[in-house]
Amino acid sequence: MNSREEVVITGWGCVSPLGVDAPSTWNALLRGDSARGEISCIPVEGCRVTQGAEACLPALEGVVNKEVSRLSRASRLAIPAARQAMADAEILTPNGRSLFKRLELSISTTACGMEHGENFLRDIWSGNSRHLASRISRYPAHQQIGDLQQHLGFSGPSMIVSNACASGANAIGHAADLLRAGFTDIVLAGGYEALCELVFCGFDSLQALTPEVCKPFDIHRRGLMLGEGAAFLVLETQTHARRRGAPIKGRLAGYGHTTDTHHITQPDPTGAPLEAAIQHALRQAALEPADIGYLNAHGTATVFNDGAEAAAFTRVFKDKISHVRIGSTKAAIGHTLGAAGSLEAVFALECLRSGDIPPQINTTHPIEELAASLARPGDKLARPAVLSVNLGFGGSNAALVFTAA
Amino acid sequence: MKNPASILSFGISCPGGTAPDALADLSKWPVESVPEAGGRALREVARINLAAEPVNRWRMKPRLRRASPISHHLIEAIAQTLESRPDINPARVGVVGAFFFGCLEYSVKFFKGLSAEGRRFASPVLFPETVVNTPLSHVVAELGIGGPVYSQAGDTSCWVSALRTACLWIENGDIDHVIAAGAEEFEPHLLDAFHSLRWFPANHPFRIAEGAGAILIGRHTPNAIAHITRLADGHTFRSRAQARVAGAECLAEFDPGIPVLDTATGWLAPTAQSLLQNRRTERLYTGPRHEGFTASSAWHTIQAARQRQHPRLLVPHWGLSQNISAVEISLPT
Repeated sequence: MNSREEVVITGWGCVSPLGVDAPSTWNALLRGDSARGEISCIPVEGCRVTQGAEACLPALEGVVNKEVSRLSRASRLAIPAARQAMADAEILTPNGRSLFKRLELSISTTACGMEHGENFLRDIWSGNSRHLASRISRYPAHQQIGDLQQHLGFSGPSMIVSNACASGANAIGHAADLLRAGFTDIVLAGGYEALCELVFCGFDSLQALTPEVCKPFDIHRRGLMLGEGAAFLVLETQTHARRRGAPIKGRLAGYGHTTDTHHITQPDPTGAPLEAAIQHALRQAALEPADIGYLNAHGTATVFNDGAEAAAFTRVFKDKISHVRIGSTKAAIGHTLGAAGSLEAVFALECLRSGDIPPQINTTHPIEELAASLARPGDKLARPAVLSVNLGFGGSNAALVFTAA
Repeated sequence: MKNPASILSFGISCPGGTAPDALADLSKWPVESVPEAGGRALREVARINLAAEPVNRWRMKPRLRRASPISHHLIEAIAQTLESRPDINPARVGVVGAFFFGCLEYSVKFFKGLSAEGRRFASPVLFPETVVNTPLSHVVAELGIGGPVYSQAGDTSCWVSALRTACLWIENGDIDHVIAAGAEEFEPHLLDAFHSLRWFPANHPFRIAEGAGAILIGRHTPNAIAHITRLADGHTFRSRAQARVAGAECLAEFDPGIPVLDTATGWLAPTAQSLLQNRRTERLYTGPRHEGFTASSAWHTIQAARQRQHPRLLVPHWGLSQNISAVEISLPT
């Protein structure tokens, strides 16, 4: 990174539809598992598609049941994921509180505690005013920030970015920007997203959900599978990490983000805005496309997204595209919207740590541009860097380049 | 922030109009009596007439024909910041938006539709307009803005978080100019939410308002309207007692001799009054109090930048539900 400060990663954690922590999720991804199933946590009867990837909510140690029942589903995903990341970075006390009283948060979501907003509206329409205050107070995104701060014992500035499905990568990139500029020394960054009726029905109304298995980059792809989850990273300046003796587990070498004004829900089919984001991230990392060994693609498996991504990847890697292994983990865990960029960042770091690349599942007839590049079972990382990209409604594009410790 | 930044231009869309003087006398703002969606009470609300010039100049633009009111408020405010500085190329400008409630009207309409007519009949036209970053997406597409774009969420105080992001991008050299914008739209269920939370205290009345405010920020330059010299953010609370502590901590980050803008409304107003009883406070408008959330935060910053009585002015942002932050504005010497 052509910066004043090197940005390092000292810990991470996640909750996904494939597991309640990062190791179990990663092992399931490497096995080629998929979390696809009937959705039961929200009402979906009447939708064209009723399948998705639902997470199993982890137990919240030390939190009484009454308090657990007050938390939004989003907070129940976010708190354990953040706790894992903080424990991994060794910034938690033995009783589970932050070592740093003030800890900056850079966080992403698109639907926050939406189930409480939905119940608030239902109660008003049915004339039931008993629980209105508790429902509406748990809905906004800054209430999940409050939950994280309360349960993990810190306060401080927080930035909630809501750039649709690129938000998770934006939150991590923003954390790196803060560190690079010397605004702070350590940031807890990540994203969370819980399944909710409004968003599920929204994607169903757009006929963007696949009625069959999710097949990223397949000629016969029919749409995305919605999922839920949360992932957090602890990012620090190298100086700060070394000063406190923290083991450095990875580096965020570059971040790029651009805005595509082509269409509100469809990316520019040429892939040019995404290419610009990737090139910016590579420049910041002082790396070449040939340095990328694995590319965790956005890969929603919609016709428009995958086509634009393939075009962008072809522009970046040119005739060397077969040298990089490309895959979308959304076939396994679903599209987790505001959490996607953060979960995929965790997978990028696990790839760098272990040298393993998760196989592209479900894709039997790959599109021509990426036919030689899609990750296969047993693939190993052969180059020093991993690229993770995300695109979102409204034209948000983000690219993160990670390197090993 | 490490270095001061400069406010180079600003834009406003408020119930009183689109000229800066509309922020000086709020008694001239139009008032409607609107029933809560649950029918429990009538409340006075200040809204923008989207059919009136000049706000309606955006109505026939392809991206905005079906867009939510917040998109219209936002584009008018942001367009003004660019129109005031034709020397700055929009393709080299970034935007950070701050939103408390976001696309409320279409979100409620979309959910009401699927609840009443069945999930299979949810509207594919409305859904994209419910997404938080959609309004800014429309704006950058229409105005040809080519820099980085973030939509940030939070309570009223997230305006300061947006200013911090804007200053960060400038400081990192990512871009030379960034527009920070706050925008909100009114929807009657908001009244029910405030009523339920007891956020309409009888002894501190205010009207909910809608609109947008935007400022164009650049590196420190003497030829500016005003400067952003200091930001304080991240004083969080979960109870009224904690809010008092958070407010005191936030104010303590600044020189106690700086006059403070009187910005608090609703349940936080008594807390603010108590914390500021020994400080010089200023009110830069006449008429009844209005609360336009992040739009109000932007309007307060614009008012502080336009005034010429005080070389330095502290603008606190009493976020209604989680965080208290503040901005120090100083005039060019």
